[in-house]
Amino acid sequence: MNETVKKPVSVKKVILRALLYLVVLDVCVITLYPYFAMFCTALKSRAEIFSPHGTILPVHALWSNFIDIWSRAPMARYLLNSILVAGGSTVIAMLCGIPAAYALARMRFKGQTAFLGFVIVSQMFAPVVLLIGIYKVMLTLGLTDSILGLVFINAAFNQAFTIWLLRGTFLGISSEMEQAATIDGCTRLQSMLRVLLPVAAPGIVTTLIFIFINAWNEYTVALCLISTDTNKPLTVGINIFNGYNMIEWQYLFAASIFAIIPVVILFMGIEKNLVSGLASGGVKG
Amino acid sequence: MKKNSFRKVEPYIWIAPSIILMAIFILVPIVFVFRMALSDVSKAGLIRGFNGVANFTKVLKSAAFGLVLKNTLVWTVAVVVLSTILGFVLALILNNQFKGRKVARAIVVFPWATTLVIQASVWNFIINTDYGTLNTLLIKLGIIDHAVNWTSTPAIYFNWEIACGIFVTIPFVTFCVLSGLQSIDTTYYEAATVDGANYWQKLFKITLPLVRSSLTVSTVLNIIYVFNSFPIVWTMTKGDPANYTDTLVTYLYKLAFYNGRQGEAAAVSVIGFVILLVCASVYMIYTLRKGDDY
Repeated sequence: MNETVKKPVSVKKVILRALLYLVVLDVCVITLYPYFAMFCTALKSRAEIFSPHGTILPVHALWSNFIDIWSRAPMARYLLNSILVAGGSTVIAMLCGIPAAYALARMRFKGQTAFLGFVIVSQMFAPVVLLIGIYKVMLTLGLTDSILGLVFINAAFNQAFTIWLLRGTFLGISSEMEQAATIDGCTRLQSMLRVLLPVAAPGIVTTLIFIFINAWNEYTVALCLISTDTNKPLTVGINIFNGYNMIEWQYLFAASIFAIIPVVILFMGIEKNLVSGLASGGVKG
Repeated sequence: MKKNSFRKVEPYIWIAPSIILMAIFILVPIVFVFRMALSDVSKAGLIRGFNGVANFTKVLKSAAFGLVLKNTLVWTVAVVVLSTILGFVLALILNNQFKGRKVARAIVVFPWATTLVIQASVWNFIINTDYGTLNTLLIKLGIIDHAVNWTSTPAIYFNWEIACGIFVTIPFVTFCVLSGLQSIDTTYYEAATVDGANYWQKLFKITLPLVRSSLTVSTVLNIIYVFNSFPIVWTMTKGDPANYTDTLVTYLYKLAFYNGRQGEAAAVSVIGFVILLVCASVYMIYTLRKGDDY
């Protein structure tokens, strides 16, 4: 652990150290390998991919693949749809989740435990198990094959996480400041908006990025509900290159890279806060 | 007086938007699924009346169901257990101080952030017999001299799906455990060192008990997610050939949207939910009770 006293370096320690670096390096190489393969393939020509003498790095890097996908498929449309679905779900999930998490953290009321219980149990129903029911609801509301439908479904199925993470964040913040604000004549809403939310900003940003990523990566519901090509988000849309008769791997992977990059960047930003949020939301009863 | 009654209603106003959202898009579908599971449903999805447990008996009698159930259990147990062990070990490794730790942590996040359908496509490409990069790589390295068929039987293909599942699940476990590890007071270890405890004693007597709540959170969530995971199996094999690589969720998707047997699909949903509820509660009660001993 943290050694403050310098000790003579033993052989055993050096070997352990070397072993540590070796294992970490292996883990990184294995983790990155699929992305490496994806990127190399995205730069190859169809002929090179299917040639009997396989190559690892592309012989001639075909950067044009990254441009071709925009004309071969309505990629811009898929991208826009993904942004709309992920952005819309995030906004709705937060608008519903923040007040609920606030009530759970700051008020006592009958049915509190029941509500929290339902929130947790709702996690057990993945959308895929409820697809038949979801489909019926969407038919009734006229939201099948619509982006708005996906927005509501993603927002609803992310409520549990939103409330869980935000309740943990709010509970970790002392309510003294809000009480002082109330004495000064603020209403609850004002004290939440002006006092609590600014302090809770890191937790809120983590939560909203996490919902955004979840909704961006969602596949199953979109696959089932969306039939019109121009309404598909990226996760479903890019499979246009994965046809029954032939798979255009170079295009599939070039398009995939566009779907992955924004999310990976966002994720690296929140990784640390997200996990501590997960743990605190669960522990603080 | 007026103010007092408002205070009583106030919390419900705050939770109302959330309740409405979840009621329409989660609760109503749940009710629909249970109702359809107990009803005679036409091919077009119209409910034609109550028919008791007929859907359940039809599902339970079908030859494929036993196989699908077995696959689901193998899939869930293998992915959750192996990714928990590997993720835990990886967290212990990443908790050491070393150069490049930040970079390593950032890289480990990748599979967690990538959408499963893309991850599964890449794996499918890598293990392809004719042009997959695994064969190419191994031939170039001189480990094999001709292309190997990595997916010769459905069982082997299913194992690849499990491997892919483990690969994408490890980061979540790792980061949950890491958060637990970082909250452990280092004086425990110092005291143990003074008392002459070795590495393994410290691991089992200090680390493991103290990260158990993190492990419980990640394991319960993983049981739920992995059990219900659809994209990996769907992208790699679609549950084919026959039902050899189907899990409950891919099976019910096909029943509902390919075969028009929505009543039976709803029955499969209900069976899946009951299994999940029992497993998750048993696990939670078991670990929470064990935790009380401390």
